[in-house]
Amino acid sequence: MIDWFRSLPRMKWLAIIFTLFAVAIGVQMIRVQTSASAKNLNQWAENYGYELRTIQSERGYIYDRWGHLLAGNKEVYEVGVELQYVANPITIATTLASITGADYNTVFTAASQAYVAGSSVYVTVADFVDVDKINQIEALKEQYEESNPYGEDPDKPSLRGLVWSAHLQRIYPENSLAANVLGFYPYLDRENGRGFFGVEEEYNDLLAGEKKQGLIPLDPYQMETIPTAPAGASLILTIDRDIQRSTESILDAAVKSTGADNGTIIVMDPKTGEILAMASTPRMDPNKYWEYSDIFKSGIPYNKAISQVYEPGSVFKILTMAGAIDAGVVKPETGFTDSGAIEVGGVTIYNWDRGAWGPQTMVGCLQHSLNVCLSWVATQLGTEKFYQYLDAFGIGHRTNIDLAGEEVFPLSEPGDPMWYQVNLATNSFGQGVAVTPIQMVMAASSLANDGKMVSPHVLKAYIQNGQQYNTAIQVVGNPISAETAHTITKMLETSLQQESSDALVEGYSVAGKTGTAEIAVNGQYSSNQTNASFVGWGPTDDPQFLVYVWLEKPSSSIWGSVVAAPVFRDVVKQLVVLMNIPPDAERLSLKGQ
Amino acid sequence: MTEDRPRQRRKEHAWGKFYFSQAFKQAPWRSQTQMIGLFFIALVVVLLVAAVYLTISGQASAAGLTALNLDTKRSNLERTIADKKADLALLTSASIMEQRAKDMGFQPADPDNVIYVVVPGYTGRQTAILAPPPGIVEEEGPVVKSIYRQSLWDWLFQGINRLSNSVEGK
Repeated sequence: MIDWFRSLPRMKWLAIIFTLFAVAIGVQMIRVQTSASAKNLNQWAENYGYELRTIQSERGYIYDRWGHLLAGNKEVYEVGVELQYVANPITIATTLASITGADYNTVFTAASQAYVAGSSVYVTVADFVDVDKINQIEALKEQYEESNPYGEDPDKPSLRGLVWSAHLQRIYPENSLAANVLGFYPYLDRENGRGFFGVEEEYNDLLAGEKKQGLIPLDPYQMETIPTAPAGASLILTIDRDIQRSTESILDAAVKSTGADNGTIIVMDPKTGEILAMASTPRMDPNKYWEYSDIFKSGIPYNKAISQVYEPGSVFKILTMAGAIDAGVVKPETGFTDSGAIEVGGVTIYNWDRGAWGPQTMVGCLQHSLNVCLSWVATQLGTEKFYQYLDAFGIGHRTNIDLAGEEVFPLSEPGDPMWYQVNLATNSFGQGVAVTPIQMVMAASSLANDGKMVSPHVLKAYIQNGQQYNTAIQVVGNPISAETAHTITKMLETSLQQESSDALVEGYSVAGKTGTAEIAVNGQYSSNQTNASFVGWGPTDDPQFLVYVWLEKPSSSIWGSVVAAPVFRDVVKQLVVLMNIPPDAERLSLKGQ
Repeated sequence: MTEDRPRQRRKEHAWGKFYFSQAFKQAPWRSQTQMIGLFFIALVVVLLVAAVYLTISGQASAAGLTALNLDTKRSNLERTIADKKADLALLTSASIMEQRAKDMGFQPADPDNVIYVVVPGYTGRQTAILAPPPGIVEEEGPVVKSIYRQSLWDWLFQGINRLSNSVEGK
């Protein structure tokens, strides 16, 4: 045997050694891959080979009709502590307390926690920190790291372990502008945030986009797709930022000067139903949405324009008169002798001044806002037709405006337990019937738009997946004919001119009607507390705006003609400039060119 | 003439066989050289396969890593864009613009001092168009194409499969 080995040439020896070496490597490879440690390693790879990532779409933007950003997102940071690497909790607490205003003790306690793998690894110590503050923290961290590398000296300051990651926060750059329309998004709730009120709630699903969890392989070779969530849809509203600002400014001034509790102004394009401005008080800055409960106390609606029902008073007379003219019961020149009282259903109805106004035409009835005359008109129209017209005008129905929180008060009609014959009279001049301002605006749009009633809306277009989808005009009914609409518009224009109303704007023809509704207090109508309103539109030959004003419980005067009509005028004076509407004479001459 | 050809070919074949056998007997190292040559050819083939495999794996991994980095970069850019938009909106908000206008000596226009002129062809201010209208939607595919994730064996077997299918006329 030994001889056999000796007889082998050196080359064969080398071959045997290398072969054995190769076999040993092979055996070791197999052993490594099948050992218990290898199984653990595989398990570890399976556990940590993927990252479970929550992917949330960026919330969509909200723009006004010209593209001004009304709601967007800004970059902020979450600041946390990786406990494994913390070298000096005191430095971390001091730095965050001085730069971000975080509570020193809270941060110190959090940063002092012991690191426990799998359970105590990371603690959030501050959130929604601005980029400027993060830059300050970063500069400090670098400075400390230079003077105390790796935080090896525990007596020297170190921000090791302090980390931050960016995310987005909802922001409303115009602050409280159009806040009642926009609603708000409670951005502090990063997990379950959703929009509240206005378009933020109404279009929450569109704005929010997607939120999903996906496994991201950490091994790049395993990566097939990266789950992404496209940004939520962006909305372009019909709101005009400048008109909104002007309207809010006028409303705030009016509420203050008249001593009203609150107020609402709506500006709409009567041909399209586009809401150009919707101002309401109170208002809040949606960037500070946590002030909601302080501002909207005791059930005050977030947007009174769509959520507060009230008895509109004499502005309602335009609907009664429109119905009667449309049905052919009366004409503008129809005469009525006002004796100052009329009995309907066993109840005597009086005028607002308890006076008798003698012979009147229908124009005079509107001009002097005579309850007795309008009650007579309603009786002439008949119960059935009167309520048919109210139904056609959308009274008692939601307008379905695309804002969250619209309210409606059911209309009592013949046959209902709460309906009495006198309701026909009281309803004719806007008492005993409750509407929201937006309902009145929609109903009045038919008078300003050739008899066609348009659906009020605030969404002009939305952008999804990089494409813009425009909304269409919706005509929701034709309660009256175009001829009736023109007639009633002319009557209201004449009545305003004849009474030299404070609503008139020099150079512009407007049609409109005041309203003063007594408010029921403890079951009795109070003559001291009223809802003062005005609805009007213009220019009368080609209406481009419809304005509704409502002041709640004004104290300087209870009359709509005194407090609400001037507000309408102020709004229109701004509107004609902002909407580039020349005075009638100039417009007609320019049209001819 | 024609009948002699097969016989002649057989003779040549036998002669060639004899020649090679004789050559190997006279120089046995030729056989070793042949074996070593075959071994090295096999080794080179194995190395080539391994090199190709490693190159493709490396490229796929690098592409995956690049895709991950780009995705992170995209997220950062999206946040930055959102932030800049918000900054711009803050700088051009109605209240700030109004204040700037006042500081520059402008006053709000009054209906009485506005002059209107007809501008031929001007149709008025157009409302915002921030994106194109609906059209053809391009579907997004996977980030890394499957061809970059295919192993050499996958490619080989798929090739064989395709070949056999084509032969069978499937």
